[in-house]
Amino acid sequence: MAEPLVAWTALSPALLLGVTGLALLLVDTARPKSRSNTSMAVVSAVGALASLAVTVWFVVAGTGSAATGGAITLFAEAVKVDTMALFFTAIFASVTALVVVAAHDYFHDHDNPAAFYSLTLFAATGMALLAVANSLAVVFVALEMVSLPSYALVAFLKTNRGSVEAGLKYFLVGALSSAVFLFGISLVYAATGSLIFADVAAGMESVGSLAGVAGVGIVMIIGGVAFKTASVPFHFWAPEAYEGAPAPVSAFLSSASKAAGFVIAFRVFTEAFPLGVSLSADINWVLAFGILAAVTMTLGNFAAAVQEEVKRMLAYSSIGHAGYALIGLAALSADAPGNGAVMGAAMAHLLVYGFMNTGAFLFVVMAERWGIGRTFEDYAGLARRAPVACTAMAVFMFSLAGLPPFAGFFSKYFLFLGAIDNGFVWLAALGAVNSVVSLYYYSRVVKAMFLDDPASAGALDALDVRPTALYAAVVFAAVATVLLLPGFGPIIETAQSAASLLF
Amino acid sequence: MVPPQWYLFLAAAVFCIGLFGILTRRDALYFLMSVELMMNAANINFVAFAFYYGDLTGQVFALFVIALAAAEVAIGIGIILVLYRNFGEIDVTVPTEMRW
Repeated sequence: MAEPLVAWTALSPALLLGVTGLALLLVDTARPKSRSNTSMAVVSAVGALASLAVTVWFVVAGTGSAATGGAITLFAEAVKVDTMALFFTAIFASVTALVVVAAHDYFHDHDNPAAFYSLTLFAATGMALLAVANSLAVVFVALEMVSLPSYALVAFLKTNRGSVEAGLKYFLVGALSSAVFLFGISLVYAATGSLIFADVAAGMESVGSLAGVAGVGIVMIIGGVAFKTASVPFHFWAPEAYEGAPAPVSAFLSSASKAAGFVIAFRVFTEAFPLGVSLSADINWVLAFGILAAVTMTLGNFAAAVQEEVKRMLAYSSIGHAGYALIGLAALSADAPGNGAVMGAAMAHLLVYGFMNTGAFLFVVMAERWGIGRTFEDYAGLARRAPVACTAMAVFMFSLAGLPPFAGFFSKYFLFLGAIDNGFVWLAALGAVNSVVSLYYYSRVVKAMFLDDPASAGALDALDVRPTALYAAVVFAAVATVLLLPGFGPIIETAQSAASLLF
Repeated sequence: MVPPQWYLFLAAAVFCIGLFGILTRRDALYFLMSVELMMNAANINFVAFAFYYGDLTGQVFALFVIALAAAEVAIGIGIILVLYRNFGEIDVTVPTEMRW
């Protein structure tokens, strides 16, 4: 399939997610008596997997790629489907599928899980829309489409004080940062007179005396991006929200929502504010991202090392990984040939991270389902009763740390290599030091599960519950993390060729 | 015609009032109102510069923003409602179940 018969079919991954969400809502409203957790979960998983299948088919067929006539633009250029958009949509759809399958067991005794499934799919629709945005207006609308369901999802357990508190804090920081982001867009509009990326870039070239206005606007847009990706300085909602939220929601936010933040960052800053043009207007956003990346990865990893609760440790680790992925923007330099390589490596890292981090949070879902505690000590001896799940968790931990036999090693390796090739040795060195620190706290989980003795003889009786769907999701994520190792070649090639088109 | 930089000053002033409200008020409802102010400050920019450039994009986008702000308030009120049911207050500094 070189070109879709009707242009809007290029949006079918996003449409599939949205239609599935609407269908769930419709069925739940029209037939509230017949609501069944299992059928809802199956329908959402099928919707997400169908979206994933279409996305992968589009990537393989080359929809929107340079070989088949270039990116497909729709709606007066407000939306652009290209390989990069499809790449990120694949991340969102896979994480959504894993999360809804796991949620089936998490919400087994919840009285109305339908809202959870439809909100998750609506947020995923917003993410898929973010990936194809070609206008700052679409970016903002899609960003709100991701944020609003996410606030409700974090506060989903309405009678649980932790969940409500987490929802409140997420909402407070989110509403503030989206207002800041919007004001940034308005300043960029004031300076350039357009919202379409290409026209903003053209306007930046003749920005003249309004360069200051545009600069303040760009700084505010960086703030909005930092919130969505959970980077410094808008990171402090993340540990609270991830800890208090229902664990499937934490998995969804820390993997898919973070990747959504990066897709807008990559697009806006390469297409709307190209590096050369920005530098000639004295707006050095690369330096800003360099500082943010360095501070974010250091803060995330060192804070994770002192945590006592596994879920909170994973929250800080996800901040650290946001720092690594920011290297994709921080290690750019004007007209350098390696720009596409480093940004593509960051995209590949986000894909691998999507599987390994979702898997790690899904293991926490399983621990919550078993009803064992939240600290490292509570995980002691789990491997004796649940060897398969614990092996999967060990795979996630070592892959997150970036140890050689797992996919996380390759994605980090290409990322740091790209940074070095572009002359940012200090960023790569800092990333390597942080990875060493991260090995300490990741291996604490593995040590607790495999080496430590359980606190008491009856401590593991709770493990007699066998949540089948959850097991399947965790094992699938682990298999994907391992299989991404032999499959990494085509992925990194796709990502790097998609990214190099942006420069 | 009023020169465009005055609109920028007006918008920046409204934005700062909203930001000040967020930083000083502890009541969640005041927080919502302050966020509304900040978003409307952006709307001033959009409308003023749409007029200045003779381009409709900004005006249309301002309408979108008004709708999105309403949606955000709807979610916010919902969260504040469950906050009140669980904690008996809508002071944003009260919920401290988790250490910050």
